Amino acid sequence: MNNFMVLLKGEFQRLIKYNIVQVGFGVSVLWVLVLFLIGRDQAADFVPLFIFMDAALMTILLIGAGLFYERQENTLKSLMITPSKMGHIIASKLVSAVYIALQSALFIGLLAYFFFDATVNFAYLLPFTLLIALSHAIIGYTIAVLVEDFPTLLATLMLYMIVFAFPSIFYALDLFGGLWEIVLVVSPTHASFLLIDFAFGHDVSTTLIVVSALYLLLLAFLLARYVVFPKYIEKAVRE
Amino acid sequence: MDDVFRVEDLRFTYKKNGVEAVRGITFSIRKGEIFGLLGPSGAGKSTTQKILTRLLKNYTGTIEYLGKDLKSYDNTFYEKVGVGFELPVHFSKLTGMENMLFFQKLYKKNADVEALLKRVGLYEDKDRKVGEYSKGMKMRLNFVRALLNDPQFLFLDEVTNGLDPKNALIVKDMIREFKEEGGTVLLSTHLMNDVEELCDRIAFISGGEIREISTPRDLKIKYGRRELAVEYYENSATKLETFDLDELGENDKFLDIVQNRTIETMHSGETSLDDIFIKVTGEKVHE
Repeated sequence: MNNFMVLLKGEFQRLIKYNIVQVGFGVSVLWVLVLFLIGRDQAADFVPLFIFMDAALMTILLIGAGLFYERQENTLKSLMITPSKMGHIIASKLVSAVYIALQSALFIGLLAYFFFDATVNFAYLLPFTLLIALSHAIIGYTIAVLVEDFPTLLATLMLYMIVFAFPSIFYALDLFGGLWEIVLVVSPTHASFLLIDFAFGHDVSTTLIVVSALYLLLLAFLLARYVVFPKYIEKAVRE
Repeated sequence: MDDVFRVEDLRFTYKKNGVEAVRGITFSIRKGEIFGLLGPSGAGKSTTQKILTRLLKNYTGTIEYLGKDLKSYDNTFYEKVGVGFELPVHFSKLTGMENMLFFQKLYKKNADVEALLKRVGLYEDKDRKVGEYSKGMKMRLNFVRALLNDPQFLFLDEVTNGLDPKNALIVKDMIREFKEEGGTVLLSTHLMNDVEELCDRIAFISGGEIREISTPRDLKIKYGRRELAVEYYENSATKLETFDLDELGENDKFLDIVQNRTIETMHSGETSLDDIFIKVTGEKVHE
């Protein structure tokens, strides 16, 4: 087994030992209960929002909290003095975070399909959720390596939600529209919304889908290359 | 004797605060020796160790490891190197054994984990979560972690910190055995007992500079007083006389005391490493 697979297996072992998988599943169950409370008529409209919340915001929180927990336990430094490549260490953490998002999207998507008559194209939903979770995991890493402590991470996440996520959520709920869509184009959360909406059969142009997907990919690459990678080492050494 | 590490004019400045933590230090670590790096907090020993373990890279100066520039090594460098950190470095919700097996699989060469755990007295607790371990147990697990890949070179930082005397002795015995089997050790510490018992050579570092580098014996001679204090019994009282060590055999008063009085104690003016530490670094020993 090469080191990436050992690291990945270790990440999944810890996802279970630290109850992350269980909590992730619990949150999904919570969303489903909320959907039942909303009622069959309107529930299908909220499903994309809940999947977005899990794939984007929960992923940021999961990655950020995970990084701080590992700093607290000094395990980042311990990993860095093994023959593992830095890229493998970070990639294994990204894959485990993406897995949680996929598990949730699949669970909520299947329930929405069978119980709320939602139109779901799983061939789009799963790869798009993967892309959204991956880009937001890297956004989560970016925030976590730039702030000094966990309370600041939470405050920055709130700021992120106010700046990027809430306008998209309000837009999704038709609370405002029109000119706002132009502003929202630069928002990674809005790009994510467009992808999820498309997977749920909403009318989104192919151009917008391609632009959104490429935008998230490019953003993820740039943040990973120029922020996460160099700063991650710095953080680990300063433990 | 071959050098494992050869460090020349090493300098390092932390970008964030602009502090030059290491200021042109030069030293070498010979194959098969235990080399002690001693100094007060903030002296630059942790920074030096982080540079030598490749955790910090933007240094100037030259570092050669086994005759090759340290910068030319990739992560395979860690296959033959073990690092024992000052603080516990384990996943608290995994058991001791789960932690060790996870880290061990990242190396090509593996030591016998069960034997190591037995040796440090953790075998019975191997299936307990590390979060439930005491500080001493975590430090012993740190030591096992450093030996997982059966290394040839060990970096040890405050290795006996938090250990009771019995377990400290076990760890020190294991370090000696590691050396006897051909291993080389860089020991960073401020515990002078460890230094006296383990180190072949030591460097005192303070303010980012090496102030002294020698064997503990030579340093004691250098910083000690060449004198002998004698307490003897005479006329129902204890008296004290101090003699110069030079030409002691021709000192009539000394010879008279030795031949005709009851001697209670005799002490040479040899100084302790604690005293040398304070003299050289200008700081008190932090216990």
